[in-house]
Amino acid sequence: MVNITINGKLVQAYEGEMLLAAIRRENIDIPALCHHEAVEPYGACRLCMVEITKNEWDGWKNHVTSCLYPVEEGLIVNTHTPTVIELRKTILDLFLASSPHSTVIKKLAAEYGITRTSYEEVPDSTDCILCGLCTRICDKMGFSAISAVGRGHGKEIAPPLKEPPPDCVGCLSCAYICPTHYIQFTDNGKERTIWGKKFKLLRCEKTGLPTITEEFAAYLIKHREIPEDYFKINDLSHRRELALKMGQITQWGREA
Amino acid sequence: MKQDFTTIPSIIARHPRKASSLIMILQDIQKEFNYLPEEAMRKTAETLEVPMSKVYSVATFYNAFSLVPRGEKLIRVCVGTACHIRGSKVIREQFENELKIKPGETTPDMKYSLEVVGCVGACAMAPVVMINDKYFGSVKTSRIKQLVGKG
Amino acid sequence: MRISTPKQLKELQKKFQDRDNKLAKKIIVCHGPGCLASGAEKIYQEFKKILSEKKITGITLEALKKTGCHGLCEKAPLVAIEPDKILYTHVKERHVVDIIEKTIKKNEIIPELLYVDPQTKEKIVRYPDIKFYSHQTRIALRNLGHINAADIDDYIRVGGYQGMVKAVTKMTPEAIIEEISKSGLRGRGGGGFPTGRKWATCRKVEDDTHYVICNGDEGDPGAFMDRAIMEGDPHSVLEGMIIAAFAVGARDGYIYVREEYPLAVINLQIAIEQAREYGLLGEQIMGTYFSFDIQINRGAGAFVCGESSALMKSVAGEVGEPRAKYIRSVVKGLYDKPTVLNNVETYANVPLIIEKGADWFTGIGVKKNSGTKAFSLVGKVRNTGLIEVPMGTTLREIIYDIGGGLIDGRPFKAVQTGGPSGGCLPDTMLDSPVDFDSLTKAGSMMGSGGMIVMDDRTCMVDVAKYFLSFLVSESCGKCNPCREGLYQLYKLAIKISEGRGEEGDLEKMEKLSDMIILGSLCGLGKSGPNPFLSTVRYFREEYLAHIRDKKCPAGVCRELIRFEINDKCDGCTACLMACAYNAITGSKKQPHVINQELCTHCGACVTVCTRNAIDVF
Repeated sequence: MVNITINGKLVQAYEGEMLLAAIRRENIDIPALCHHEAVEPYGACRLCMVEITKNEWDGWKNHVTSCLYPVEEGLIVNTHTPTVIELRKTILDLFLASSPHSTVIKKLAAEYGITRTSYEEVPDSTDCILCGLCTRICDKMGFSAISAVGRGHGKEIAPPLKEPPPDCVGCLSCAYICPTHYIQFTDNGKERTIWGKKFKLLRCEKTGLPTITEEFAAYLIKHREIPEDYFKINDLSHRRELALKMGQITQWGREA
Repeated sequence: MKQDFTTIPSIIARHPRKASSLIMILQDIQKEFNYLPEEAMRKTAETLEVPMSKVYSVATFYNAFSLVPRGEKLIRVCVGTACHIRGSKVIREQFENELKIKPGETTPDMKYSLEVVGCVGACAMAPVVMINDKYFGSVKTSRIKQLVGKG
Repeated sequence: MRISTPKQLKELQKKFQDRDNKLAKKIIVCHGPGCLASGAEKIYQEFKKILSEKKITGITLEALKKTGCHGLCEKAPLVAIEPDKILYTHVKERHVVDIIEKTIKKNEIIPELLYVDPQTKEKIVRYPDIKFYSHQTRIALRNLGHINAADIDDYIRVGGYQGMVKAVTKMTPEAIIEEISKSGLRGRGGGGFPTGRKWATCRKVEDDTHYVICNGDEGDPGAFMDRAIMEGDPHSVLEGMIIAAFAVGARDGYIYVREEYPLAVINLQIAIEQAREYGLLGEQIMGTYFSFDIQINRGAGAFVCGESSALMKSVAGEVGEPRAKYIRSVVKGLYDKPTVLNNVETYANVPLIIEKGADWFTGIGVKKNSGTKAFSLVGKVRNTGLIEVPMGTTLREIIYDIGGGLIDGRPFKAVQTGGPSGGCLPDTMLDSPVDFDSLTKAGSMMGSGGMIVMDDRTCMVDVAKYFLSFLVSESCGKCNPCREGLYQLYKLAIKISEGRGEEGDLEKMEKLSDMIILGSLCGLGKSGPNPFLSTVRYFREEYLAHIRDKKCPAGVCRELIRFEINDKCDGCTACLMACAYNAITGSKKQPHVINQELCTHCGACVTVCTRNAIDVF
C-alpha cells in the first residue's frame, strides 16, 4: 500500500493504481469523460487534472491527469484548487462550443456554473468529444473496426473508408461506452444496425429471446474457443462462463 | 498515372512483414500511384495483419498521403514563417487563380494538384514553391504563369 | 574494406589528404537548400560538361565538388574556388566558362560575381573576409561547403570518424557519458536538456534492448539547419549516433527524416551504406564486441512528430499521437524500451567533443550554454542563410553584423525564434544574448534554430494568427485544450485581424492561453499559445490599434487597409503586372490608379513597387 494525502486527508492506495481510482474511492467527485475502467487510460479530456506536490518538492507543484498518474508514496493531491477548477471550467466551456447540443456536456458544464459557451460555436458540431473510448474498447475486444480519422480540429471517429465496417460484429460496446451517447444504433429484436452495417440477431432456442449477433457468435467460436452450440441457449450460467472466457477486460491496474 | 494494381504485392514485399512497416509501405504506394488506392490499403492491411481501420487512420493522419488521385504536377506552395512574411499568401492565391482550384484540390484534367506545405526548408530563398521534387526560390507573382507552364 | 584499427584510419586520412593536396584548384558548387532552389544543379552540370570536354591541364573532374550548404543563401547559387577561398555569388550558367578561363586558368578574379558589402559597397574576394562568415564559429556545420556529402573518403580526409574510433577503442561508455556531461552539451532540438544526463539515465535502465534515435523531423517553419547537415554532412550525424549507441548500449538506431527532405534521405542512405562497407556500422565495429546499425524512417508530414513520444509512435508505424510522459521516453521509449532521442545538430557536435575534449567545448559559448548554435537566418534580413555562432552572441550581432541589417534599410520590428512554440522579440531585446535560458526568459525560446527577422511591414497580429493557424492544422487532435483551445484562440485572432475585435478579447485570449499551457498533454499544446503571448507582451499597442481604431499599422490585415498610388508613380507597370485581380490601370510612363472595387488588398503591388509609390492606409 502507498500513503498519499488527498485534499488534506491521509489515505492508502494500492501500489500501481492511478490517482483517479484513489480519489474516487474517497467519494470525491471529479469529472473524467475519456476514462473507463475497462480500457487503458488515455488522458485526452483533461478534466480529471489535479494539483500534486510532495513535501520534499520545496513548494513546487505540478498539474497532472489523475487517470494517468500512478500513486506515489508521500504524494499530496488537491482536486479542487482554484486553478484546477478554472481549468475544468475552461475545458467544459470549450466542449460546450464544440458539442453545444450534448445533454451530458450541458449538464456537466452547468455543474461548474457554465450555461452558455463564451466561445464561438464550432460549425458542423457533433456530440462526439473525441474521448477515444469507443476505439479503445473496440481494440480491446479484438475487432478494431473503427478508428480515429484525420487529425487536429477535423478529427473524427469512423470506420475505414467511412463505409460499413467489415470488422464490426455489432457487439455495441462502442455505443455503450460512449459518454455522450453520440454513437447510435437500432435494435428491433431481430435486426441490429450500427455504423451503417446490419446484423441478424440469434435467438435462444428455449426462451425465443434475442441473444447476440451472428457475426459476434461466429467471432467468439473462432477466436475465443467457445463451443459452436453455446449460443443456442441463453441462460445465466452460460453468461458467467462466457465472461470468464473473454477474460480480457480487467479493471485497470488490478487483477479481475 | 499508373492504374496497374498488380505491382502492389511487390511494393509491400520490399519491407519486413511487420506492423512497423506500415508507414513506409504506404509511402512507397503513394509514390507509385500518386495516391493511396483502396485496393492497396486493403492489401497492406491483409499482408501486415494490421486492421484496416488502423491503415485508414494512419493514411488520414499524415499530410503525405492522399486518398484521391493527385495530378501529374504536384505544386506545393511553402507557407513557412519566412515564406509567409515574404508574401507566400499572395503566391498561393495566384496559383489558385491560375489553376482555378484550392489547396488540396486537383484540376479536372488531372494535370495539377495544389497544396500548401508547412516549410520545405529553403527559407533563405523565400517565398518558395516546390513542383514535384524541384524547388523554386524567390518566386515572384509574375513568374506563376511560367511555373505552371514548365516546372 | 573494413577499418579495424585507429592506425588504419589515420593512414587512410593521410592518403585522402595527399590526393586532395595534389589538386591545384577545387571548384566548390554549393548544393545547399538555397542554391538548389536557385539552379545549382545546372551550374554543376555546366562545369562538368566543360571540364570533360576541354581537358584543361592540371584540372580534372576531381577538382569539381558538390557540397552542402555554404551558408550565404541570399546570394545563391554560390561557387567557391579553393584553396584561394574565393566566393562567387549569383552564378549563372553563362558565367561558368568565364570562371574556368579566368579564375581557374589564370588566377583572375571576376569582379561582377563578388559579394558586395552592403555598408561599404566594397567588393570582397575571399569569403573569410565577409562579415557574414568572419563572425561565425562553426562546429556542427564544420564541413558544410567543404566536403562532398556523398563521399565518406572526403569526410575521413577532414578528420571524420576520429572521435568515434577514439570512443569505441579507447574509452568506456561511462567515460564517454562523463565527457559529454562535462562538456555541458544541451539538446539542440530546442528543449536544451543536458545530453549527458539523458545518456546516463538511458544507460542505467536495465534492459536487454536500448535504442538510439536521431530526430531529423525539423518541423519548425523557417528552420533548415538540420536539413543542411543531413544533406551536406550526413556522416557527422552517423558518427555522433554511433558514439551515443556505444555509450548507452544500443544495437539499433533510427533516423527519422522529414518527408519534405528527399535529398537528406538519399545522402543519409548513401552514408549508411558507405559506413557499413568500411565496417563503421554493422557487426563488431572496430574489431570489438560492439555492433550497431542504423535505419532511416521517413516522416509522413506531421509537425507533432517532432515531439518525442509521437515520433516514436511514428517510427513504429502508427499514428503520431503523443502520450503523457509521466514515464520518460529515455526510460520507456520506442517499443517501450529505453531510448535516447537527440536531434541532428546535437549528434553532429558529439564527435568533436569526444575528439577534442569537454574543456575545448566549454571554452566556447557562455556558462551553462557551452558551444555554438546553428541558425537559419531568414526573413527580411539582407544576408539570409545558414549560420553558426557561439552561445551568448547577441541578437544584434547576428542580425546586423552577420545578417547585414534589414532589406532596403527598413526599420527592425521583431525577430521570431523557436518556431511555433517560440515567440517574437522586439528591438529592446536586441542586445540580449542568444542562449537557451536568456531566450526563454525573454518569452521566446531557442527552438531548433529558425530566426526570422521582421520589419515594420510585418503585422504582429498577423504573425500570431499565422502560427495559430499552423498549430490548429498540425495538432494531433487528441486532447481538448490543444484541439479546441488553440482553435478558439485562432478564431479570436482572426476576429481581431478582421476588425471585429472587442474590449476584453485580449484578456480572454490571455486567460485561455494560460489554461491551454496548463492543460495540454504534450509540448505542442503547452507551447502553442507562445506566439500570441509574446506578441501581445511586446506589441500590445498594435493589437489595440486593430481592436479600438480598426487599423493595421503595418498595412497587412486586409480587412483594415486600403492602397492608393501616390505621385511618386512613374508608370513602370510593375504593379499592374503583379496584380492578379486587374485592379490597377494606367499606361506606361503615366501614373497608375487602383480600382478600389476590384482591389483585394493582397499587397502584391507593394512588394514589387521600387518607387515607394503605393501608400497603405
